[in-house]
Amino acid sequence: MTDRRWWVLVAAVVAVSAVAGAGAAPALRFDRNIKVGVVDTYSGPPAVFATDALNGFKLALQEINRDGVHGARIEFVTRDEKFSPEIGLSMARELVLQERVDVLVGILNSATALAISAFAREQRVPAFVWIAKSEDITGAKGHRYVFSTTENTAMAGKALAEAVAKKGFTRFWLGAEDYEYGHRITNSFWRFMKRARPEATLLGQTWWRTGEPDLVPYLTQIQQARPQAVFFGTGGAGMANVLRTMKVIGFNVPTAIHTAIDVTVLRPLGAAAPEGVFGTTDYLFYYPDTPANRKFVQDFQAAYGAPPGFPAFHGYITAYFIAEGFRKARSLDRERFVDALEGLRIPTPVGEVEMRACDHQAVLPMIFGVTRRDPRFPFLVGGDLVTLPGRDVMPTCEDIETARRRAR
Amino acid sequence: MDAGAVLGQLVVGLSRAMILFIVSAGLTLVLGVLRVPNVFHGSLYMVGAFVAWSVAEALGGHPSGLWLALAAAPLVTAGVGLVLERLLLSRLYHREHLMLILFTFGVMLVLNDLVKMLWGPTYRSLVPPPSLQGAVTVFGVALPRFNLVLLVAGPLVAVGLWLFAHRTRAGKVSRAAATDRDMVAALGVDVSRVFALAFAVGCFLAGLGGALVAPTTSITLGMDHSLLIDSFLIVIVGGLGNLWGALVGSLLFGVTQSVGLLVWPQFAIAFPYAVTAAVLLVRPTGLLRSAW
Repeated sequence: MTDRRWWVLVAAVVAVSAVAGAGAAPALRFDRNIKVGVVDTYSGPPAVFATDALNGFKLALQEINRDGVHGARIEFVTRDEKFSPEIGLSMARELVLQERVDVLVGILNSATALAISAFAREQRVPAFVWIAKSEDITGAKGHRYVFSTTENTAMAGKALAEAVAKKGFTRFWLGAEDYEYGHRITNSFWRFMKRARPEATLLGQTWWRTGEPDLVPYLTQIQQARPQAVFFGTGGAGMANVLRTMKVIGFNVPTAIHTAIDVTVLRPLGAAAPEGVFGTTDYLFYYPDTPANRKFVQDFQAAYGAPPGFPAFHGYITAYFIAEGFRKARSLDRERFVDALEGLRIPTPVGEVEMRACDHQAVLPMIFGVTRRDPRFPFLVGGDLVTLPGRDVMPTCEDIETARRRAR
Repeated sequence: MDAGAVLGQLVVGLSRAMILFIVSAGLTLVLGVLRVPNVFHGSLYMVGAFVAWSVAEALGGHPSGLWLALAAAPLVTAGVGLVLERLLLSRLYHREHLMLILFTFGVMLVLNDLVKMLWGPTYRSLVPPPSLQGAVTVFGVALPRFNLVLLVAGPLVAVGLWLFAHRTRAGKVSRAAATDRDMVAALGVDVSRVFALAFAVGCFLAGLGGALVAPTTSITLGMDHSLLIDSFLIVIVGGLGNLWGALVGSLLFGVTQSVGLLVWPQFAIAFPYAVTAAVLLVRPTGLLRSAW
C-alpha cells in the first residue's frame, strides 16, 4: 500500500470512531479552564524544594493539557509565601477570593500549610499540600477539604524508627532545628522508637535555630556525650549543614535523618556528604528502576536539566490527582471533586498511588537506606534500599479518627 | 564533663566568634562613622559567600581558588558598597534614621532578589582545598581544619582595623568624624570622601566574612537573616560604633553558645540572647563606650 492510501485509511478509521464515540456518550465539555493557585516558598533557602515541586507540577500539566480534562486546560498562578504563615494565608485568601481559583496547592512550610488548611476548610476550597510534612495536616487537624501528596512526619518517623530499631541501638541523642517540622519529626521518631524498643533511653537532646550556619559546637558536644546513635530532625539547607559538619569533623556516631538519602539533599553537597548515614525518603529517581520511573526521570531531566527530587515527584502526582479528580467528578463543582478524590487511585512513576478516603493522605511508600558512593553519580546516593509499603507506615484510620476527636 | 571538653568547646566557639567579629566590625564601623544602620550589610555577606563560590568554581576546584575567592569576594562587595554609597546613600545622610533604615532595607530586598536571579535558589557548597579538609583534634574535640584559618583571620582583621584607625590619616579622620562630624567638616576635611571610604571598608568586611564562612556552611539564600540579627545584637552589646566592642560582643556571643551547649544542651539556643539581655539590663549603652 502506498503512503497516501495509508493516510486515507487512517483518516477513515478516525472519522468513523469519532462519530461512533460521539453517538455512544455525548462528550462532556467543561465550559471553562481549571484554575490552580500555587502558594509556596520561592525565596530563601527552601526555594530549591519549592522550585523542584513546581517543575514536577508543570511537567505533568504539559502532559495533561495535551488532551485536557473534558476539554479544559489546567492553568496555574504562583505566589511567594516567603516562609511566613501570615503572608501565605493572605496569598491564599487573594487567590481564592480575587483570582477565584478552583484548587489551592503547594506549601512547604508546615505552619503555613496548617493556616491555609484552616482557611480552605472555611471557604470549602480543596487544598493540596505537597511538601509540608507535619502529620497534623491530615491527622489531628485534617478535614474534608485538605489533601496531602507528601509523606508526613508520622510515616517518616515510624519508617525510620522501626528500621533503626533493628540495628540494636539503645542509648540515643536527639538533635533538631527549632521549628514545626523539626519538632514533629523528632517527636514522631522518638515515639515510634520507644514503641519498637521500650528499653531505648534518651541521653539528651539539642535544639538549634533554623538557618544556624555553624553546627560544629552542637555536633562536638553530642559526640562528647557518647550516645550509641543520633537522630537529627532537620530539613532544607539545615540538612545540608548537618551532613557537611558530620563529614568535616568525622562525626563517628551512627546517625539517622529523614531525607538523608534524598537527591535534593545529597546532590548539592557533592563529595562533602558523609557515608553511612541512615535515611528515609518517599522518592528516588534511580529506584525503583522501572520503565515508568525512567520515563518520568528522562522527561524531567530533558525539561529542567537535573533529575527530579522528591518535591518534583509530589508536584507531578498532585497535578494528576487534580486532573483525574475533575475527570472522575465530571464537574467543576468543588464538592463533587472532593468526593471523586476519596479513594482515587492514579498511576504514578513509582506505581499506583491511592488517595486514602479516611484522611486524604496519599498512600506513599517509604524507602529506607544508607548514604554511600556510587560510581554512576558525582554525589552520594542511597544504598541497601528497602521499600516499606505506605499502608505499613501510615497511622490507621482509627488512629486518625482518635487524633481528630481529641483535637476537637 | 572534663576540663579538656570545655577548652575544646571554647576553641570551637572562638572560631565562630571570629566570623561574627569580622562582619560586626564592618557594621559597627559604618554605624560609628556614618551613623547609618546598614540593614543590607547581611546581604553583602551573602553576596560575598556566593562570589567566593563562583570564583572557586571558575578555577575548577584548584587549591588556589579558595585564596583567590577570599581576596575577590570582599573587593566585589566593597565595590558594590562604594557605588551604592556614592550614587544613593551619600544623598541621604542628612535624613533621619528611619529614612536611612528604610533605604538600606530596600537595598537589602533588591540585593537578595539579585542574588536569587544570578545564582538561583539552589544552595551551594564550597569545598576547601585538601590541605584544609577534615579536622584536627583540640583538647579532645574535633575542630575543622578550616576553622584554623578563621582563628588566624579574626585577629588579623582586628590588627588591620586598629592600624587603619590609628595609623592612617583616613582612619584618624574617620574616628574624629565618628565623634563630631560637624567639627571635622569645619576644619576643612572632605567628610564625604571619608564616609565613602569607611563605608567601602565596612562592606569589604561583610564580603570577607561571607567568603570566610563559605567553605564551612551551605551557601544559600537567606543565610543573611540570622547573621544580620546577631551582628546588630553584638554591635549593640559592644557599644555602637566601637570596634573593640564588636570584638567583645562577638566573643561573648560565640563562646556562650558553644560552652552553653555543655551546660544545658536543650536550651543552649537561648544562651547568647539571655547573656546579651543581661548585659543590656546592666549597661544599656553596651559594654564599651558607644560612639553615639
